[in-house]
Amino acid sequence: MVRYVTRRLIQMVFLFLVFLTVTWFLLYILPGDSVALKYAGNPNIPPEAREVALERLGLDKPVLIQFRDYMFNFFQGDLGVSFNQYPRPVVDIIAERLPRTLVLFLAALVTYYWAGFLAGKYLAWRRGNRGEMLVTIGGVGLYSMFLPWFAFMMIWLFSVLLDWLPLSKFLDPEQWRDAPFRANQVFMRLFWVTLIASVALFASGFIARQTRSRRLGRTLRWGGGALAVGGFFFYWYGVDSGQVMRVYAGDIGFHMILPVLVLTLINFAGVMLLTRSSMLETLREDYILTARAKGLPERVVRDRHAARTALLPVATSLVLAVATVIDGGVITEAVFSWPGMGEILVSSVLSEDIPLAVGAFSFIGILALIGHFVVDILYGVLDPRIRVTEHG
Amino acid sequence: MTSRRLPLEISAGQARLLEVDGLVMRYDTEAGEVSAVENVSFSLGRGESMGLVGESGCGKTSVALSLLRLAPENARYQSGSVLWEGMDLLELSDQEMREYRWAEISMVFQGAMNAWNPVYRVGEQIREAMDHHFDPPLSTVETSRRMDRLFNLVGLDPAVQNRYPHELSGGMRQRAVIAMALSCEPKLIIADEPTTALDVIVQAQILEELKEIQEDLGLSILYISHDMAVIAQVTDIIGVMYAGKLVEFGSTRDVFHGPRHPYSYLLLSSIPSVTGPRRRPVSLEGTPPNLLAPPAGCRFHPRCPWATEQCRTDEPPMMQIGPSQWAACWNSEQVPEMGEQLP
Amino acid sequence: MADQRSLPEETHTADPFGSQPILHEVDSWWKIRLTLMRRSLRENWRIFRRSKVGVFGLVIIAFWAIMAVMPTVFFATGFWNPAVYDPVTGLELNPPTRTMTMVERITDPNTEIDRRAVLLDGRIPDTLQIGDTFELPRQPAPPDGRHWLGTDPLGRDVLSQLMHGARASFFLGILAAVVTVVIGTTVGSMAAYFGGIVDAFLMRLADLLILIPGLAILIVIGAVFTFQLWHLAVVIGILSGFGGTAIVLKSQALAVKVKPFIDAARVAGGSARHIIFYHLIPNVMPLSVLYMMFTVTAAIQSEAVLSFLGVLNTDTSWGLMMNLARTQGYLLQVVDFWWLTIPAGLSVTLLSAAFFLVGRGMDEIVNPRLRRR
Repeated sequence: MVRYVTRRLIQMVFLFLVFLTVTWFLLYILPGDSVALKYAGNPNIPPEAREVALERLGLDKPVLIQFRDYMFNFFQGDLGVSFNQYPRPVVDIIAERLPRTLVLFLAALVTYYWAGFLAGKYLAWRRGNRGEMLVTIGGVGLYSMFLPWFAFMMIWLFSVLLDWLPLSKFLDPEQWRDAPFRANQVFMRLFWVTLIASVALFASGFIARQTRSRRLGRTLRWGGGALAVGGFFFYWYGVDSGQVMRVYAGDIGFHMILPVLVLTLINFAGVMLLTRSSMLETLREDYILTARAKGLPERVVRDRHAARTALLPVATSLVLAVATVIDGGVITEAVFSWPGMGEILVSSVLSEDIPLAVGAFSFIGILALIGHFVVDILYGVLDPRIRVTEHG
Repeated sequence: MTSRRLPLEISAGQARLLEVDGLVMRYDTEAGEVSAVENVSFSLGRGESMGLVGESGCGKTSVALSLLRLAPENARYQSGSVLWEGMDLLELSDQEMREYRWAEISMVFQGAMNAWNPVYRVGEQIREAMDHHFDPPLSTVETSRRMDRLFNLVGLDPAVQNRYPHELSGGMRQRAVIAMALSCEPKLIIADEPTTALDVIVQAQILEELKEIQEDLGLSILYISHDMAVIAQVTDIIGVMYAGKLVEFGSTRDVFHGPRHPYSYLLLSSIPSVTGPRRRPVSLEGTPPNLLAPPAGCRFHPRCPWATEQCRTDEPPMMQIGPSQWAACWNSEQVPEMGEQLP
Repeated sequence: MADQRSLPEETHTADPFGSQPILHEVDSWWKIRLTLMRRSLRENWRIFRRSKVGVFGLVIIAFWAIMAVMPTVFFATGFWNPAVYDPVTGLELNPPTRTMTMVERITDPNTEIDRRAVLLDGRIPDTLQIGDTFELPRQPAPPDGRHWLGTDPLGRDVLSQLMHGARASFFLGILAAVVTVVIGTTVGSMAAYFGGIVDAFLMRLADLLILIPGLAILIVIGAVFTFQLWHLAVVIGILSGFGGTAIVLKSQALAVKVKPFIDAARVAGGSARHIIFYHLIPNVMPLSVLYMMFTVTAAIQSEAVLSFLGVLNTDTSWGLMMNLARTQGYLLQVVDFWWLTIPAGLSVTLLSAAFFLVGRGMDEIVNPRLRRR
């Protein structure tokens, strides 16, 4: 296992280097002089100042030197300076935006995988050809929905017509005018508190699964769950540091609902269809008959035997879906003006802010790499057959 | 039908554990109704072992699954009963039936690889059955002690319980399946093709072990197989099925030495015998009938070399032929002589 | 080689095409191959037809194919005047108007304008006095007899744009799919056949490509190059052909490679090129066609997103129609200006779903395991 993980890690680093190199050459070199022309070649800038600007941007050196410098700086955490938000280092912007993207992705990912898996499981269990076509067509329709259009329709429905949810953005500036906190401070607090609560929630569920006594399991599941959710609310209502931030954190959370909903709905159907067909195939296996013959309750046959094994192909799909999920995130962010990595990628590309674009794109690459890695490991954990054979 | 209920007590005086009486089961399919089990009756006593033989698709597995009520969803029980210690299993609620499974009747499935869920350890899958069937629940210590005993019983290292199914060889897997079948101390084990996928040596070992275990624990075993040789080795009673019907039934010795139904006769003479008198193996012509539209009269008549006019129109009932032998054939008296005249 | 007489007799009964060559007259191997191909095509169609969703998808595709052809017919028959109906340069010169009254303070923005609006809008003479009325042309005009789906903010016919958009989508989707399949089968078969370093290199490349979020990279590439539609198709084809498709097809080719007839071909002295092109690729083809369908879906979606974001340089496309609606601020006025957003958005969804459904129907041909028992 350790060897496998190390090998994957080394592979990842190598892949990232290739990726970064291609990106850099693509964006810095191919446009030719356009960077220099646009930012340092502005006729309104006096020639001396232009020289200085070119020098500061490092554009006067030979290409390979520029590349070497960029790579060198990159691994020292210096990704250059944004053209558009001039004095601001790219790293700063990314550090601010990355958690926002992560939160959006993770919230959507967890929701849609969970919901899709559940829906697929029940659909397969209730089998019968009745409605099969309807489910397939509905699922495929949702799956191939044109994301930006769908997002705007949802915004129109929930924000314009029903006026329940905010239109877009990350927070409501009106409310934050006199805020004693910076948005990022509140956001990170929200992030950690939610993370701890969810980890506690999953841990209690996981431990409950491992226990053999059913009563203890039930106590653990419900007790642990209540404790996690209760703790979450207690922090915001009972603890001083939470109380003062509650309104602002709530505002951010409120702004998150719609993007998460859109991402979830778009991706949900794919997981549902896949789970359904995988589960239908699993239900035909002999070990399901064995499980029934053992006199296990139907719920145990369904969840412990059928669904657990049907999860394997769904997890494989996750490996391939990482990139797609990120793509969906990029579009969603752009549509909702959600200040994350996707949004800066689109806006920096459109405004030719090259350092920021390279930075954003390389971090999206890192995100994809890590996602793959996690899913790969997860797959090994899920399937004991892989655990053994993959060592070679 | 002349005698629906058969006095099939071979070893008289023993309590009948299982009595299948006039069982009729059909499958509803898109193409129509498949008559999979047609009026099958037999009974089995405590400690006895019985074999059910026939070609694939003759309904022997359907009978076996009916005993656990595990037949696919499209199966319908038309009539008949499955009495377990006098109680009709077909009448039980789903919940009651679940409690019955494994605790009273367990099963060794055909193709042991697929009988295991690939994602759980072998021990876990056995423990799961025990967890659901002992009331009050066994303690952890008791469970693991029992597990060790089970593995020793079937000739496996108890450490095997911590392995995954794919890490075991075919023979080990089959032994572990037997251990799983024994885990809840059932009174009857249904062994569906227990050794088909194994090589001959392992096959013999496992059959021998099953026989020993059966004698030690006083179990009843119902073997399901297409392999006459396997059945002959290990059973006391034998039932021969053809196209959903039981065509011959009796003590294994009697049926083997003097088959009285043409189908069993041909089936037996297709096995070359090493010890018995030299016979020319006879092959069985034709294919089993389509159960969507089974032939009228005796279902075997299209393939029977001795079929008469009566066979084509009238269905022969089970008739007692000897003290412990029954056959469903109009000409059962003549079968041995007619067999001699075969080319 | 296939012996003519060994082919079963019943193959030429009930020929729906009525033109089946009689096998005894076949004289060269390619005709035999053609016959076999047609026969398998007919058999596959029989299986495909049973998949309701697949047929449903095919019906939608057929509908859009007709839509894509219509403009040519309309222009040729003179039913549509290019000056008005051209999707890019067309202009409705006599749009419907509505009567506006000049007021001091606007209470109903649909019938009243004030001095400020007059100054901002160049089309209104600034000599208007309070109380005067004025006929204001409505430029995103709602559907009427002349423009069945209304006009866009620039006075162009929406239906015409929709039909031309369908054309662009088909062109793009099919080109991308063909590029994908050609690259994917070649790469997959080569990796499977040669193994070793060729395999390692091609598969690492594929790993890298499935790893990169495709749209993100298209956005970046779109920023660097001026993207034409066919550039995009080729880039999508390359990304997917060297990426995920190659991996899937390689595993299929590996399964084919161990079949006895490959050994037979090798023993008979077949060159690598011969074995790959005559034995491996034809056997991997069915799966390729399946992946072709999924590539079409992906390509249509990518194009729409890129034009929507304004990265792509195209004349007409569904994404561009949405882009215009967005930049002109009509996107959220779903009820009042539905014809600017709903048709285009729905079209993208429908057509890509249709290809996906056809892919699912084909899945049943390619994976016999999925067939109804």
